[in-house]
Amino acid sequence: MALLELDGLTKRYGGIVAVDHVTMRIEAGEVRAVIGPNGAGKTSLFHLITGVVKVTEGSVRFADQDVSTLPAHVRCQRGMSRTFQLTSLFPEMSARDNTRLAAQARDAKRWMPLGGASVFNGASQRGDLALERLGLTHVANRPAGLLSHGDQRLLEVAMALAQRPRLLLLDEPTQGLSVEETAQAVEVLAGLFSSGDLTVLLVEHDMEVVFRLSHKITVLHRGSVIADGDPDTVKADEGVQNAYLGGFA
Amino acid sequence: MRMLLAAATLLALLPLGLPPYAMTLLTESLILGLFAMSLDLMVGYARLISFGHAAAYGFGAYACGNFLLHTSMPLPCAVLLAGLLGGIVAIGVGWVCTQATGVSFSMLTLAYAQLLYAVAFKWTPVTGASDGLAGIPRNPGPFGLTWSGKAGFYYLTLTCLLGTFIFCRELVRSPFGAVLRGIRENEAKTTALGYNTRRYKIAIVAISYGLAGLAGALYAPFAGFANTELLFWLLSGQVLIMVIVGGAGTLIGPILGAMFFLYVQQKLSSYTDSWALFFGVIFILFVLFLPEGIWGLVRSRFMRKTA
Repeated sequence: MALLELDGLTKRYGGIVAVDHVTMRIEAGEVRAVIGPNGAGKTSLFHLITGVVKVTEGSVRFADQDVSTLPAHVRCQRGMSRTFQLTSLFPEMSARDNTRLAAQARDAKRWMPLGGASVFNGASQRGDLALERLGLTHVANRPAGLLSHGDQRLLEVAMALAQRPRLLLLDEPTQGLSVEETAQAVEVLAGLFSSGDLTVLLVEHDMEVVFRLSHKITVLHRGSVIADGDPDTVKADEGVQNAYLGGFA
Repeated sequence: MRMLLAAATLLALLPLGLPPYAMTLLTESLILGLFAMSLDLMVGYARLISFGHAAAYGFGAYACGNFLLHTSMPLPCAVLLAGLLGGIVAIGVGWVCTQATGVSFSMLTLAYAQLLYAVAFKWTPVTGASDGLAGIPRNPGPFGLTWSGKAGFYYLTLTCLLGTFIFCRELVRSPFGAVLRGIRENEAKTTALGYNTRRYKIAIVAISYGLAGLAGALYAPFAGFANTELLFWLLSGQVLIMVIVGGAGTLIGPILGAMFFLYVQQKLSSYTDSWALFFGVIFILFVLFLPEGIWGLVRSRFMRKTA
């Protein structure tokens, strides 16, 4: 049973086709990377899946239900949690409060206007656990805006993780990191994914990161899928070589 | 908590030693403090800048004035009912205004206030047009209480202010308040986390307007009249200044800001008619040198920093 099924997913902006009939299935427990050159439609695809922009054509099925027309926050409630390509945090709150607010969103009583100690307790626990899994416990009390760039990227993953998502969507988690920071972040993420309890959809630019982290790779080029398969198959694919990898492997 | 008790006790004992004129001024400053605190919920906690908060204040004043003039409803009931009514009407206002964000949001709140201001001039049976409503009584009751004296009315106002303060403080510390802070710092992220931010914004607009309505509802029987000035944009601007001078996002600050505003206005206007000019200079100085306001100054000088 596929957790996420995209069927003929298309997004047109006037005459420009950003995403062109993408069909894709992601099984539970899988770590899938979507790669492609700049402008291939990776981020647009992310926006379509998470509901940030409206689908022109085709459908998004999540956990066996059509979510194509649901607004972003409802899809998030159904179990999709995402990070952004450009770090998006609550900079004046502590790292702990960031993950707490993320976890609180999954509580049925998240809106309680008075009291709510039990909501906070549950959310803090889930948040602290997520911080621990990403090795951020030692900076938990620092304002998020004062963390190093690498820690900020990981904090965003921790926020998504604190929501106990069924599908974790990461938009270029190593974007803007130095070589050393990237290496560290990749180790942390690899450790996280190896537990096998997460289903991950990853958009990434850095090929080393992709080959290190993902089980399966989907290659986008000008909005459409040109290859799909495990890392070795994709590396060997001639069309991919020509379009993108440029002799990387 | 101890500070709150101390402040409440002090305010409760003040009527024993103050001359009548000072009592009047103090009561008015508490009403304005309540008004400013209601605006702080939006400005300080959700970064929703209402530039038409007078709409809620004036609405509450007219509603309460009508209740008191045309029924024998006891004063406290009329005040509460007017505030409640203001909050309910504000759900619609919030629904419309939150379609926009930033400056457009502020302009929409201003538009509503000006709309109400225009209506007040035309809807003579309810608002008395340019004459306003005069001779608004302080109906007695319940439990045989009377409100005609200065002290009685002062205690009613103080009770409303303290009750509202405790309510607001709990509100901003609750899960709901945490989401508001999220909206203030990064609304896009708050939505992405799965919060329907629009609903939270409408809710805080309704609560804030309702409490501003409560303040206006106290003002009508306090002054004995309600006129269109209570709906004018000048008042919306003044209350925003009280919030900023007192310290936005602190609840207590805006109350101090209101007291400071009224005190300075009284002092300056006894020397010159252009007191607003001088207050403008004071406001600029605050924005430049004390962006955290009076309460921010007090906190950093006299207290250890708390989150």
